[in-house]
Amino acid sequence: MSQDLRQDSNPAAAETGLHEKGLSKGTVGVMGLVVIGISSIAPAYTLTAGLGATVAEVGTSLPAILLAGFLPMLLVALGYRELNNAMPDSGTSFTWATRAFGPMIGWMGGWGLVAATVIVLSNLAAVAVDFFYILLAQLTGHDEIAELTTNLWINIPTTLIFIAVAAFISYRGMNATKVFQYGLVAFQVAVLLLFAVMSFTSNQPFDRTPITLEMFNPAGVESFSAFAAGISLSIFVFWGWDVTLTMNEETTDPKKVPGRGATWTVLLIMALYVAVSLGVLYWAGVGTTGLGAGNPENQESIFAVLSGPVMGPLALLMSLAILSSSAASLQSTMVSPARTLLAMGYYKALPTSFAKISPRFMSPSVATFVTAAAAAVFYVVTRLVSENALWDTITALGLMICFYYGLTALACVWYFRAELFSSARNVIFKFLAPLIGGVVLLVLFFATAFESMDPDYGSGSNIGGVGMVFILGVGVLLLGVVAMIYMRITQPSFFKGETIKTYKPIK
Amino acid sequence: MKLLVGYTADERGAEAIELASALVASTPDASLHIAIVLPAAAPFSAVYPGGDHGYSTILSAQVDQWAKHALTLVPEGIQASVVARSVSSVAEGLISLAQQVDADGIVLGGRKRHRAGFFMPGAIANALLHSSPVSVFMSSPTAIETLRAANGKLTRLTAFVGDRPGAKDVIELSAQIATACAVPLRVATLVLPYDVQDPDRDLDAHVQATSDYLSQLTASMELDATIDVVVGRNLDEATGQLSWQDGDLALLGSARLAAARRLFIGPKAQRILGKLSVPMGVIPNPGSDN
Repeated sequence: MSQDLRQDSNPAAAETGLHEKGLSKGTVGVMGLVVIGISSIAPAYTLTAGLGATVAEVGTSLPAILLAGFLPMLLVALGYRELNNAMPDSGTSFTWATRAFGPMIGWMGGWGLVAATVIVLSNLAAVAVDFFYILLAQLTGHDEIAELTTNLWINIPTTLIFIAVAAFISYRGMNATKVFQYGLVAFQVAVLLLFAVMSFTSNQPFDRTPITLEMFNPAGVESFSAFAAGISLSIFVFWGWDVTLTMNEETTDPKKVPGRGATWTVLLIMALYVAVSLGVLYWAGVGTTGLGAGNPENQESIFAVLSGPVMGPLALLMSLAILSSSAASLQSTMVSPARTLLAMGYYKALPTSFAKISPRFMSPSVATFVTAAAAAVFYVVTRLVSENALWDTITALGLMICFYYGLTALACVWYFRAELFSSARNVIFKFLAPLIGGVVLLVLFFATAFESMDPDYGSGSNIGGVGMVFILGVGVLLLGVVAMIYMRITQPSFFKGETIKTYKPIK
Repeated sequence: MKLLVGYTADERGAEAIELASALVASTPDASLHIAIVLPAAAPFSAVYPGGDHGYSTILSAQVDQWAKHALTLVPEGIQASVVARSVSSVAEGLISLAQQVDADGIVLGGRKRHRAGFFMPGAIANALLHSSPVSVFMSSPTAIETLRAANGKLTRLTAFVGDRPGAKDVIELSAQIATACAVPLRVATLVLPYDVQDPDRDLDAHVQATSDYLSQLTASMELDATIDVVVGRNLDEATGQLSWQDGDLALLGSARLAAARRLFIGPKAQRILGKLSVPMGVIPNPGSDN
């Protein structure tokens, strides 16, 4: 296999000695890794964005779905880790899928990853802007300021400014420091726990719903389509956890730290999610009127509605936690699609200008700009055509994650096809786990995509009788197919396998 | 002479190499160490999703390409090598590299920026100007133009001194550089009206005294230097009085509050830097044992 890798036009080892001296080795311990994991998940943001939409699908089975959603994520992440260990120098779904399945599927894998991150960027920016105005309203005591975000003439420009600032910070290569991350994560977790505690100790819950064991039973969900939609949403809430598994050389002990860090992260996150979701169910119930979590009015951004009644004046803290978590994620997530686009440019799957690196800031220049522009365009279009943009983008995002994650998992199985049964370890980590995970995610993808054609799906927005989520999710993928065909005609070298070779096992 | 060039793969980097080449060209053992510095790995801003690993490989391939190109910019007869390093602070990284290779100075390409009339060196140059243990040389596009007009060769060094005791150290170090570069030395002093109690009565005498003092000083150091004392109503005007020729290089000393063997630019020098349109260098405090 290493023979095969050498034939690629892979970047050669640096003559300038960057590799030997540049990378500082091993500074992250278990605690640090947990902090990195939680900050990648950004629980305050994912809960406010994802909880309402998930309740809409599965009602009181919310805790069960949150726990069940972790399983496919875990299975896929295990395959992800195997690929990362085998091909550490080209760590994106794009290159992995290309090596396993060839240029066309690899290209779509890269597109799926970029599309998912661009969608989440636009959603992050929107959530940050909402809570920016809510926070201003809470600070000044003028409630009408919070309403400003519903005015498109104010909302869209503010969101574009948030995106532009995040892109600029990414371009300048400014990084979050350890102290900053620790502080941010501690604050988020503390505020979310406070919300859970206050909703249980509240004197007058809106719709007191007793906690039952039935809430933890995934089989309690009424239909398969609701179950599928719920799972694909709850994958979104764990998205980011797998970063703990792929950090190796950055840790103090690559043999122990990633495993322990990943375990602790998921235990903490699950405890947090269960506490908050039970708190929401207990306090607000799933009723479709007033403050009920089942009210479509509340589902776009659940804490925007509930934190005030539950936490009183302390709701300020929740707004601050969500604003800081989504703004920080906006900046850090911006880096990822830019680097994938850069890699695609470097391997000639996109115009080579995408591979430009700023000589001053050592960051992708064209690719960062394109990422920010794409997120901005996506946001403006969604905001203009959908009545419930946040909700629909989150559902479309779940769809997109299922697509590229499922593809990556199957790429793992296919890439290692010659050695799947050579050891018991391989059977589990390279075959069974990614196979089951990948198949589950792709089934979810197709099931949700099919369901979402219904105009009543998600928020109920539609164009010409076709559901908005379907148009967003599948439309973006079809756009990718068109772009791919265009690239194949104008710049065929990647598609001929000249830049990345598809791996064939040596018989 | 051995210089460390803080290189970025753009116009500024090319200009830095141009200035550095002019500085070392006629010195014995002329060599340049071209440094490309990258931001340090920051594990706490984990890139998610997708991971960081593919990017660092592509980045190091790009750096190799830049390194090759940088070497082609160095004229023949000058030894040159490139080193790339990830550092947490660019200025600190350049200083530690300069110390490692035992360089006589650090060269930066730059852009002049003015904020509300004040000259602001870039963040990196600014940090170096307040902490470097070796001389720091800077260019700007206009400065490089004057160097190019002299076919890329230095023709004269101009050392800025005051009439205070530190002048001797600045002249001494400047003279060493001038000798190494085989160019004549000019010692320039700016005299302002408030240097004396009654300008109308004492200014001319003060100018004469300063000129005499510097002549004696350079004579006692057995130097062949021209003395240029200019008068102006303020620092900007005085600086503007000085005549410049193509291929000039201006040298300034550190403020007296600089730590021993460290560079710390004073407000006066910073003001002068902003007015100059020739390449310039700032030299460190020679140390208390001098």
